[in-house]
Amino acid sequence: MTEFVLAVALGLLFAVGTFLVLRRDVVRVVWGVTIISQAANVYLVTMGGIGGSVPVLHGEHAGVTDPLVQALVLTAIVIGFGTTAFALVLTYRVYEEHGTIDTTELGIQ
Amino acid sequence: MSQFVVAPMLVALGTAILTLLVREYGRTQRAVSALGVLAYAATVAVFVARVVPGRIVVYELGNWSAPYGIVLVADSLAAFMLALTAVLAVPVLAFSLRSIDDFGQRLSYHPLFHFMLLGVTGAFLTGDIFNLFVWFEVMLMSSYVLVVFYGGDRQTGAALRYVVLNLVGSAVMLLAIGGVYAVTGTLNMADISQYVATADPAATAPILGLSALLFTVFALKAGMVPLHFWVPGAYTAAPAPVTAMLAGVVKKVGIYAIVRLYFTIFAAAGFTVDLPGLGPEAGLLAFYAGVIFLMATASTFFGGIGAVGQDELDGLLAYSSIGQVGFITLPLAIAAAVPAVGQLAIAATLVYALNHTLSKGLLFLVAGTIRDAAGSTDFHDLGGIAGRTPLVAGAFLVGGLGLVGIPPLAGFFGKLLVFRTAVEAGAWLPLGVALAGAVLTIAYVSRAWNRGFWGTQTPRVEGMQPDSIQVVVIVVLAALVVGVGVGFDPVFRFADAAAQAALAREEYVTAVLGTGGGHA
Repeated sequence: MTEFVLAVALGLLFAVGTFLVLRRDVVRVVWGVTIISQAANVYLVTMGGIGGSVPVLHGEHAGVTDPLVQALVLTAIVIGFGTTAFALVLTYRVYEEHGTIDTTELGIQ
Repeated sequence: MSQFVVAPMLVALGTAILTLLVREYGRTQRAVSALGVLAYAATVAVFVARVVPGRIVVYELGNWSAPYGIVLVADSLAAFMLALTAVLAVPVLAFSLRSIDDFGQRLSYHPLFHFMLLGVTGAFLTGDIFNLFVWFEVMLMSSYVLVVFYGGDRQTGAALRYVVLNLVGSAVMLLAIGGVYAVTGTLNMADISQYVATADPAATAPILGLSALLFTVFALKAGMVPLHFWVPGAYTAAPAPVTAMLAGVVKKVGIYAIVRLYFTIFAAAGFTVDLPGLGPEAGLLAFYAGVIFLMATASTFFGGIGAVGQDELDGLLAYSSIGQVGFITLPLAIAAAVPAVGQLAIAATLVYALNHTLSKGLLFLVAGTIRDAAGSTDFHDLGGIAGRTPLVAGAFLVGGLGLVGIPPLAGFFGKLLVFRTAVEAGAWLPLGVALAGAVLTIAYVSRAWNRGFWGTQTPRVEGMQPDSIQVVVIVVLAALVVGVGVGFDPVFRFADAAAQAALAREEYVTAVLGTGGGHA
């Protein structure tokens, strides 16, 4: 059941992210990219196996979720935080330089 | 004593932090930065001396043994890539001391430069696939800021495209890594290799799709067609020394990752694929032979034809970079298709990559010198530079001929090895592509020479006063391009050792995991 819910959530997140990336408004593009990278994080957690096994210990450890993917996701979240902040600042700078954040008017297809 | 493995990274990291601390004192900061890059080159020299040829040294971070901890793996391939980085980084930094404006240098240039160096070094050394992602991000984060460095309208537009594409690329890379972890249960590259070699082929089949996802990310970093959109904008917008580093070094990280992951790690996969045109028993590498060949061919033609049509020296060089990446990756397609010539083919790729790093780095610095002195690199504003400043024109000629591949320059041997690989493998189609690419290179280099350097001097060129230090740097780099060609034998032996290391899967796995270790 958990797997099903997560799979649906992942599909929705990627769909919304892709939709936003294809918008003309640069701010929406940045949100789209952010949502896609968050979706990748959710995917990583899912790949650890829900109620799966622990990588370091052998034997019977059922019911313990793999902590490694969670460590990976923490790293990815921190990196995503930095890049999102930079992308938003860049968007503001684009607005200052060009007076618009419409990708068609900017000439970026 | 395996600490020498981590030394280049520590030097780059330490220098980056020191240059941040002394940013109030402009001269001190520049001295620290220059000494830092020299120290980096020195540690890389020690690294090369200890590893080449044929040794593999594994550094376990925090003394956690593989596959549980993160390891750094020093072999000849990593050594070759580090040497290529250091050889370009030193002249580029010297050039930027005179080329980047004072405010920019004080503000952020030096820390960013060294953080980029750190990211590149980490990517070359790491033996852990998630760690590779982290170093990619360190490298990219610095390069984002360096591309948008002067913050004008051109820079912001180009940087936006560069940033968004690479952010999507990073998400795709995370997805692929997550998938690989789910399939193999490990992130250690040697352990992944061990798993795909020994596990049931049916269980490892998803690796094909996941590795293809990863491949798109590396192709994006290398700027291969059809993932090249960001290249012309970013290369023309960034300051000249930054472009030299992006084209010379950062691009090669993508090439390195392709060689390391597909030829060392995934090549052992036991599953077969049934794809149209490949027959039912094709392995993973046969699949990539087709993919790389198509992308390399498209890059060669797109970049070459695009370069011929450019009206700006910067733009011409940027499109040329797309075409040259086609040339660098073409032997990889042959190596994947015909394993018998694998070592020669990878050596050809590496030699050509080194040639591209030196020649294209030199050409971008020449373009930067011209922009700083004449205020433009548009061919309409230029003409007769050869009469005004023969040294700058001479350096351009050396770099251009290096790309074309005239003996005794390094480019000649690079091209020769590419042709030899194609002939030995009997790969006539790739040979034709390589020849066509060579003709296109001659076309755009001679066009740039005719329009910019010969003819009558334009008013801008007449008033041109190139900075003497900049000229010294490009002349030294030009001498290096000649030197690598004249003293080619040791360079080839180095590249050959690196190619051997790239294909020595067993040795790599044993060095990292030990003989009895590995996947449970």
